[in-house]
Amino acid sequence: MSGIRVGKPQAKPDTPAHVRGMRQGNRGPYRRQPGHHMDGTADARRATGIHWKKHNAVAKTMPSIPPG
Amino acid sequence: MTSTEERTRAGKRKPGQIVDMSWDPITRIIGNLGIYTKIDFANREVVECHSTSSLFRGYSVFMKGKDPRDAGFITSRICGICGDNHTTCSDYAQQMAYGVKPPPLAEHIVNLGEAAEYMFDHTIFQDNLVFVDFCEAMVKATNPGLLATAERTEAPNGRIHGYRTIADIMRAFNPFEGEVYKQALKVSRVTREMFCLMEGRHVHPSTLYPGGVGTMPEPTTFTDYLSRLMRVLDFVKRAVAMNDDVFDFFYDALPGYEEVGRRRILLGCWGAWQNPDVCDYRYETMNSWGKAMYVTPGIVVDGALVTNNLVDINLGLRILLGSSYYEDWVAEEPFVTHDPLGNPVDMRHPWNQTTVPVPQKREFDGKYSWVMSPRWYDRNTDQHLALDTGGGPLARLWSTALNGLVETPYIKATGHSVRISLPKSEELPEMTLEWKIPKWSNTIERDRARPYFVAYAAAMALQFLEQAMGLVRAGDTRVFQEFEVPDEAIGCGFHEAVRGVLSHHLVIRDKKIANYHPYPPTPWNASPRDSYGTPGPYEDAVQGQPIFEENGPDDFKGVDIMRTVRSFDPCLPCGVHMYLGKGKSVQVSHTPTYGASHG
Repeated sequence: MSGIRVGKPQAKPDTPAHVRGMRQGNRGPYRRQPGHHMDGTADARRATGIHWKKHNAVAKTMPSIPPG
Repeated sequence: MTSTEERTRAGKRKPGQIVDMSWDPITRIIGNLGIYTKIDFANREVVECHSTSSLFRGYSVFMKGKDPRDAGFITSRICGICGDNHTTCSDYAQQMAYGVKPPPLAEHIVNLGEAAEYMFDHTIFQDNLVFVDFCEAMVKATNPGLLATAERTEAPNGRIHGYRTIADIMRAFNPFEGEVYKQALKVSRVTREMFCLMEGRHVHPSTLYPGGVGTMPEPTTFTDYLSRLMRVLDFVKRAVAMNDDVFDFFYDALPGYEEVGRRRILLGCWGAWQNPDVCDYRYETMNSWGKAMYVTPGIVVDGALVTNNLVDINLGLRILLGSSYYEDWVAEEPFVTHDPLGNPVDMRHPWNQTTVPVPQKREFDGKYSWVMSPRWYDRNTDQHLALDTGGGPLARLWSTALNGLVETPYIKATGHSVRISLPKSEELPEMTLEWKIPKWSNTIERDRARPYFVAYAAAMALQFLEQAMGLVRAGDTRVFQEFEVPDEAIGCGFHEAVRGVLSHHLVIRDKKIANYHPYPPTPWNASPRDSYGTPGPYEDAVQGQPIFEENGPDDFKGVDIMRTVRSFDPCLPCGVHMYLGKGKSVQVSHTPTYGASHG
């Protein structure tokens, strides 16, 4: 650093990029969150656990749109 | 020389009465920007100008060794007003490095968030900060004669905005009391809500990641956005009409005002809003997806388009030193010798840059700023062009208009203008606004372009909303694409921060960041003299500009200079006060550590 007098660094910037055991967001929460399917689609369980089968789209041709 | 030629002076010159004037820091902008000038009061013009920053941030220093996936969250903290532009740009660069293309709905959500950001930021900056220089109180203090004329001048667009005379509009601009000032605060709140619907939080987004977004694409996400957008359309239409009236009045009432802040036309725009149908984030196809962006990238020199190819734009980037407190890095090992297309990459390119700060005393003959001097190397003329961003909107509209590539249901670029159609809103009918390429790149035109770009962003948002709601209705609610971080990769992202060009350059080695260089707009605009002696845009624009203020050296406010500097929307991350020496600056304060080469 071009001869600037500096103290002992408190940070260790060169730490591992990923800590083992930490969940990585981009793996997808499929196991933990019911209603989310691996192919990117979802069903009513994403929104509710109560009578969820009755809250799905009534026909196959209809999209599954999140509530709200 | 790439700087502006000396202005031709009419009439005889009086013997100079040169006085040092300095403003450090400048208020109503973000960051520690100082402007040091020599003003010739006898001939009423600025003789010399230096722009300086006393802040050093060092993002490029401490990003090294970090997980590249964190880059978007860290670089967002560069700025407290346009942080999301950094996140977006960083995600673009990462998506190139990881080879991942987000689903179309994710792209629309990012685009909607960015559109809301442009609307929010331009409104709060223009109406709450810039207009203070054009308000009744300021004009009364600096040009009382002008205010008297304004009282007698009818506003041509009065039926749209409802103010009878120009002075009425100026009164509405008065800070804290004026109607426009208060309304703008409300509008900036609503537009920020729109932003938060899409990106989770303002200004550091919580739902933007490389590979997609975490926003839940519910039908109400988009209808909530739409209802807010329709509420601000009235304000947007009025703002354009009001700005046109006031700025045209300045040209009419103060002949020669076009010389204030005029600079040779050297504009750069890196493009904004990706088109998900075309964009795949591969470097090899960057030229084609760059041209499909909804603000077309381009470099405009003397009114002509030099290039709109993002690969050319990327390869021409050069970071020069000369007046900056850094050691040169040419002796270091390069990170990227060739780009993925096989073109050689220069040692002065951001991919190869190493930041070595050397704090020292400020000497205007030597080194005087923490800002480096980014330039664009033009192969045809063998010149390092000191491009500016025209505060953002001017370059974006200029490049889009000249390219003539954007054609959407609401916007049409014609080659000489940009036509923006906005639907009927609460009070005003459907309107088509047309921004025409101006004759000059000066203070007034930079400020005038801003409300037009707010309208542009609103028109784009309408289209993104329609497309996004179409996807949701069809059941395609995917918003994230998985990816793996590669061991070694390079990436670059090109985007438009609110105040202009933004690029992020990233080198990954061993799954960690080996080099990361964000180049936001202010290093371009606020750059000091480079190693070739070319002054930066602020210096160039202020140097030689005439002074229209009626005050003498003792009560000089420098409003014309401040208008020029603020027209660039300066953003060096906080102005505290304005220092006004009685002709000479008595105290030179100097803090060389901590804090904006990357503002």
